[in-house]
Amino acid sequence: MAIGRGGATTAVLAALLLAACGREARDIGPSLGETPPRGGSDPRIPYYQDNVYQVAQGGRYFGWYGCVACHVEGAVGVRDLGDGRWQHGGGFDQVYAAIARRHGALNYAARIPAEPLWQLTAYVRDLPQHTPEKRRRLAIDQVGEPHGRSWSGPVR
Amino acid sequence: MIPDLDRRDRLSLTWRDPPGWWGFLTTVDHKRIAARYIVTALLLLFLAGLLALDMRWQLSWAENDRMGPQLYNESFSLHGSTMLFLVSVPAMEAMALWLVPLMLGQRNMAFPRLGAFSYWLYLGGVLTLWVAHALDVTPDLGWFEYPPLSGPNYAPGHRADIWAQMITFTEVAALCASVNVAATILKMRPPGMTLARMPVFLWAMLVASLMTILSMPAIMLVTSMLIADRLVSTHFFAPAANGDVLLFQHLFWFFGHPEVYIIFIPATGFVSSIVETFARRRLFGHHVLVLAILAIGCLAFGLWVHHMFAVGLPRLGNDFYTAASMAIAVPAGLQIFCWIATMATGRTWLATPMLWVLGFVATFVLGGLSGVMTASAALDLQLTDSYFVVAHFHYVLVGGAMFPLFGAFCYWYPKATGRMMSERWGRVAFALIVGGFNLGFAPMHLLGLMGMPRRVYTYPAGMGWEGLNQIATLGSAIAVAGGLVFVANALLSYWRGAPAGADPWGASTLEWAGESPSPPWNLAYTPVVDSLTPLWDSPVLRVMDGVAIERREVIVTSVVDAAPLYRQKSAAPSIWPVVAALAVTAMFLGSIFTPWAIAAGALPIAAALTGWFWPQRGRATTGPLRVRS
Repeated sequence: MAIGRGGATTAVLAALLLAACGREARDIGPSLGETPPRGGSDPRIPYYQDNVYQVAQGGRYFGWYGCVACHVEGAVGVRDLGDGRWQHGGGFDQVYAAIARRHGALNYAARIPAEPLWQLTAYVRDLPQHTPEKRRRLAIDQVGEPHGRSWSGPVR
Repeated sequence: MIPDLDRRDRLSLTWRDPPGWWGFLTTVDHKRIAARYIVTALLLLFLAGLLALDMRWQLSWAENDRMGPQLYNESFSLHGSTMLFLVSVPAMEAMALWLVPLMLGQRNMAFPRLGAFSYWLYLGGVLTLWVAHALDVTPDLGWFEYPPLSGPNYAPGHRADIWAQMITFTEVAALCASVNVAATILKMRPPGMTLARMPVFLWAMLVASLMTILSMPAIMLVTSMLIADRLVSTHFFAPAANGDVLLFQHLFWFFGHPEVYIIFIPATGFVSSIVETFARRRLFGHHVLVLAILAIGCLAFGLWVHHMFAVGLPRLGNDFYTAASMAIAVPAGLQIFCWIATMATGRTWLATPMLWVLGFVATFVLGGLSGVMTASAALDLQLTDSYFVVAHFHYVLVGGAMFPLFGAFCYWYPKATGRMMSERWGRVAFALIVGGFNLGFAPMHLLGLMGMPRRVYTYPAGMGWEGLNQIATLGSAIAVAGGLVFVANALLSYWRGAPAGADPWGASTLEWAGESPSPPWNLAYTPVVDSLTPLWDSPVLRVMDGVAIERREVIVTSVVDAAPLYRQKSAAPSIWPVVAALAVTAMFLGSIFTPWAIAAGALPIAAALTGWFWPQRGRATTGPLRVRS
């Protein structure tokens, strides 16, 4: 009994450890996302989707590539990315494809390198969990970053 | 005065702890609590020292790949946060908790349970940072985490929250310890120990405690604001929404600069005690030393901006803070001259504690001189964020605080354990640590002047930095080896050291009046003091009786004249400090994840405090709250 409980505790601790590792890791090195995801169970997906750093990087590119111009806070219909409804499916590969291939002349597949696309995908799939005040707060911190065409220069 | 056996037995019965684990958890004995503080802090000193050695290894060669940038960031953040918040300040508080009642001839601190609460909360802070590190959620933004880098946008996850909450833990613990120390020194001095007859050590601890009380709220405020920014999206540090990132730096350094003196001033107390004992004469310029400590305590609050010269200030601001920073060299210099005069005119005996004082004087003066250099705003713009600064603050913190702490450890070790440490191995440890330290950190001045920035995880070949970095690594390794000798000496002496007796050094202050190790009740009678050095000036220590021995009681005296006022009940062992600390820990940790933890967590804290303060005496028979039949 005592051994069983010890084993269970160890298992819980180990699970916590692994979860914490992946979630908080901040890898700065050769990127995994050099090519688009291969299907919804590509093993690279958790590396981006379950990592706060990668999601946050996606949030910054969301501003840089001008996504906020249309997918602004309070947008309605298909442009509302925070409602959890996906026109072309909510799988990682499906959202990735929707960003890369379904924006017509914007042609993001050609304009955005693969890794930022991975990060953008992780970010927009994470959006349903973001509260509006959190999105606004992050946007305030990003005012000084190059925001597509609407950038007004560094904060003074 | 030697107590008879009957009195000893009755005192032991009154002041004993319950046996076993229950006694471990409930004790309010200031010596047991302080011992825990010191052992925890020394363990962390060792762990953070290994981190330092690892970083030195990384920097020994250009483009070394022992660490990547992220691991290096985590290493120096963990090293700095641990050394400042979990080692230096708590170690100084622990020395106060241990020695202040002994030096006052009192049986315990003014608030015994607050002392226990302080330790448990400090332990909560230690575990928060290091358990998080084991889970790979290590803070990675340095020991001061400036927004916007530490804000919600650029520090996702919980690394910065862990850092901020660790600070909340340690600052609450420090406030509890400081209030306790200040109240004890001001209201519990033995009869006759007027403010003018108070040893420099007690002055140092009093001033450091008052500084803690005045400066710690600033950092608790600023880390709480940072957590609010991150957790509930407030705008304190968001310039685009009329917040101000510099506000963080001002509030941080309004605490941060006094903090280095909160670390240094207790060290001046250690040095004063050691110098007096081993020079075998009263301190030269006692009043000058006390006034210098008071002056440093005041000036320390007026020069925090010198940490921010590179931020950009008006000309007058630069001038003012440069002048204020240089002014502090005057009282610090006066202290050094007083100690040197005491040593030069006394019959100085170079035992190990005194060697540490010599190491302190030499190293700290070097650190002080590089401090005067960096105090100049014009020069600081060149030196800031370079290895010159790293060299400077290690010289003042290690030389100015750690060397006196090691000396104090050797000096009071016989009082704490009843055993002498080995002099021979003490000298070996001293030579290795002081020699290794200077070999390790002196080259960093040059590296800084050659342009090597701090906080870089590697550098390209061909910069000409490798040789000096290798010398620095060698020196650090020697110092760490010396630290191991020091710890081994302390451990072995605990069992094998020669018995010390009450006063092995022939010292002058009251902590040496009783037996070693001190029994739980400290001194059998209340001493009466009529000079600065009571054990030297009267052949037999005068004492008074009248404080109860069959119940826990202490004597309370007036603030200035130390005239006896009344007898005060002293709190008995209690489980409530641990329970309260657990409740506070739950709230602090919960508030990393949800703001509701603050509301929900307040209920267990209120329950624990209610239990803690539950009245223990009968209802009053007069007044509005009297028992009505």
